[in-house]
Amino acid sequence: MTAITVIGCGPAAHRLVQRLHHHGHRGPVTVLGAEPEPAYNRALLVSALDGTLRARDLALAPFPPGVRVRTGTRAVAVDRRRRLVRGDDGTEHPYDVLVLATGSRAVLPRLTGAGGRFVPDVRVPRTLAGARPVGEGPVVVAGGGLRGVETAYALGRAGHHVTLVHPGAHPMHRLLDERAGALLTAALRDAGVALETGRRVTGVEPGRAVLDDGRSPAAGTLLLCTGARPDTALARAAGLAVRHGVVVDDRLRTSAPDVYALGDCAEHPGCQATLASAWEQADALARTLTGGDGRLRPARHVVRPRLSGLDVAVLGPPGALRRPDGGEQVVLSDPARGRYGRLVLHDGRVHAGVLVRLPRAVATVGQLYAADRPLPADRLALLLGTGGEYAESAELPDTAVVCQCNNVTKKALEQAWHSGARDLPAIAAATRATTGCGSCAALVRQVCGALAPA
Amino acid sequence: MTRVLVVVGHGMAGHRLVEEIRSGDRSGRWRIVVAAEEPRPAYNRTLLSSYVDGRTVADLTLPAPRLLTDPRVDLRLNTRVTSVDRAARTVTCADGTVLGYDALVLATGSRPFVPPVPGRELPGCFTYRTIEDLDALRAAAVPGEPGVVVGGGLLGLEAAQALRLLGMRPHVVEMAPHLMPLQVDEGGGRVLARLVGALGVDVHCGRGVASLDEGPGGRVCGVTLSDGTRLPARVVVFAAGVRPRDELAGSAGLERAERGGILVDRYCRTADERVWAVGECAAVLGRCYGLAAPSYRMAEEVARQLLGLPSDGFPGADMSAKLKLLGVDVAGFGDVHARTEGAMEFIRDDRAAGTYGKLVLAPDGRTLLGGVLAGDTGGYTVLRALLGRELTAPPEALLAGARAV
Repeated sequence: MTAITVIGCGPAAHRLVQRLHHHGHRGPVTVLGAEPEPAYNRALLVSALDGTLRARDLALAPFPPGVRVRTGTRAVAVDRRRRLVRGDDGTEHPYDVLVLATGSRAVLPRLTGAGGRFVPDVRVPRTLAGARPVGEGPVVVAGGGLRGVETAYALGRAGHHVTLVHPGAHPMHRLLDERAGALLTAALRDAGVALETGRRVTGVEPGRAVLDDGRSPAAGTLLLCTGARPDTALARAAGLAVRHGVVVDDRLRTSAPDVYALGDCAEHPGCQATLASAWEQADALARTLTGGDGRLRPARHVVRPRLSGLDVAVLGPPGALRRPDGGEQVVLSDPARGRYGRLVLHDGRVHAGVLVRLPRAVATVGQLYAADRPLPADRLALLLGTGGEYAESAELPDTAVVCQCNNVTKKALEQAWHSGARDLPAIAAATRATTGCGSCAALVRQVCGALAPA
Repeated sequence: MTRVLVVVGHGMAGHRLVEEIRSGDRSGRWRIVVAAEEPRPAYNRTLLSSYVDGRTVADLTLPAPRLLTDPRVDLRLNTRVTSVDRAARTVTCADGTVLGYDALVLATGSRPFVPPVPGRELPGCFTYRTIEDLDALRAAAVPGEPGVVVGGGLLGLEAAQALRLLGMRPHVVEMAPHLMPLQVDEGGGRVLARLVGALGVDVHCGRGVASLDEGPGGRVCGVTLSDGTRLPARVVVFAAGVRPRDELAGSAGLERAERGGILVDRYCRTADERVWAVGECAAVLGRCYGLAAPSYRMAEEVARQLLGLPSDGFPGADMSAKLKLLGVDVAGFGDVHARTEGAMEFIRDDRAAGTYGKLVLAPDGRTLLGGVLAGDTGGYTVLRALLGRELTAPPEALLAGARAV
């Protein structure tokens, strides 16, 4: 029976082990988790931070019976020749199949003054330990990417005094375009978050965070949301092919036989580092390891930041919104209601997009995007989430002015036609239509053409 | 009893008024005296650029021959009115002639605005409003040489087109960040700049003119822009907007609007119940309209009043316009910049096809308030006709010029 060892105890590993059991794998399964806690839902860490959920509320379903879980054990080496993993506690864990699910590690700024007395509580809210509830006092969040924005927004709404410091021109500048960024900025301000854009946190001093322009907002807590990159140290040391992440193919195989990788540590061209991708990969790998067809067909996912009361959806590869490559796009901008939608299309299909406060559009566009199907012709109705019925007939109303220069209505043209004016010069003589700037000539012909017996 | 109507100005508005009165005055109530400053009867100024493209003055002339021989119309060309005496109910002309009136309609139009830059009086500088302006420009044009148009609005682009037709290499300088800032938005401006550029017009937006430079022989030889750029220029054409010709208001003791123009109510009437103003010189409720269509509307409303017919007054107008340059399709209508309270915008931007279309909609998402079309104006006339009404088809079909009749 195949012995499977999984390094990592995050959502990807958890899902994989669940699915292995589901597909009937009965061999030994070992899970090595570096963190002391059992597997938990990382996506809900913001709720732990703002106190809406307790740590134990985040726990994931227990592993299936028989799975050996060693939490608090960090894998420090992979011995491919002997097929075993060594833990930092000296334990050794043999495998027939090894799965790397090491996730990502935070990219942290070098902070001056760190470790000094009375400096803010500096934390990285990516783990249960880092996401313990924030205490009294002002909070500075460094980094306004997806996680930083979710964190600052939630804490602001929970009544904390929050400053969000972000190096880009607006929060989430890699995912959103300028207009969506402006709406997000407004929503953050409404949540009580002060914004410092174009700035970085470079250090701490007693009771404050220090910015790169020398100013220093008050901070009891400094939360570092300054990004993450795939945790590839173990894979690299084991001699696996690594680019940005551990390189995997459509079956999530690494460059070494019997070694697989998935989730945030893995690099697959069709996947983004999202929870949905991790789950999808876990499902595929579980099928492969139980003898099924485990070829990964990455679906297209919609990124939906967790911002209660602000519906935002981002579609497409990162950066696609900022560099519309000369294609077609449709935009709905409704500043009065804070609504905004922009879709970049390729061959009438969604290539990328952003939707703010357009929940109905998210539902329909999201489905069409996932299935890579063409959008319907009425994109306004699609974006507004309305039926798109055009109640009146598609005809121009009688009272509509056709010749603007001379204020000639459709009705007046029809009357002239019925009185015998059957060509453009006659119509012009009778009504003055077309005698100003002349741009209405085509429409005048159309109106008369519609009256002529077929 | 026949009464005398004096019309000051025979431009498009003044002419429309005369036409309306003559066609509606069955009882012969009015005798009309038109004091026309220009040496020829009214012509279609909106088609001025076509004058350098083969059309003749006769082609552009507005009055039908019978109007020019109409015994009830006394059209006095080369006649500039210098003052109005409301107490005596007379106007005085430059040659000393005094004309008495029972009703007076001022239709003096506007004059080109020439920005106060050093060198503006140099030979080789022109304005762009009259046949005479175009004759002078034609005489000065040198094929193959550069010409600079100051102003990138509708008129400026018409002027650039005229320079092009005269064989010159046009540059257009516009203060706003994009061309035709009154009529189109940034997206339309981007397409417009590309199309106009492809016609050989060099566009310089976001910059003003700092000075006009004098060359050998005392003629203009170049333009220095506010950012220091120097453009060589054989001719310079000012097309940076117009100002209402409201001088007569002074001698007449009539009020001017804050930003110029003869102040009138919505019936185009001044404080004097015998005196009206129509067209570009009129500030209806304080606002001037420098376009032909609203001028016509004003003339028609005043004609109704003079004929004793009910008038709803001038309903207001927007700056709708469609560029009529060869091969360049750009148009804007209604609330182009979505300034209406609660308005939303729907945009379709196809950079591959080079087309851009925007509809501005009311908060209901259905009622059309305005729009911009660039690269393809097939939908313009239908959309323009739907202004203030509910859409009759999906926006993209309308923008693409779907049949709507």
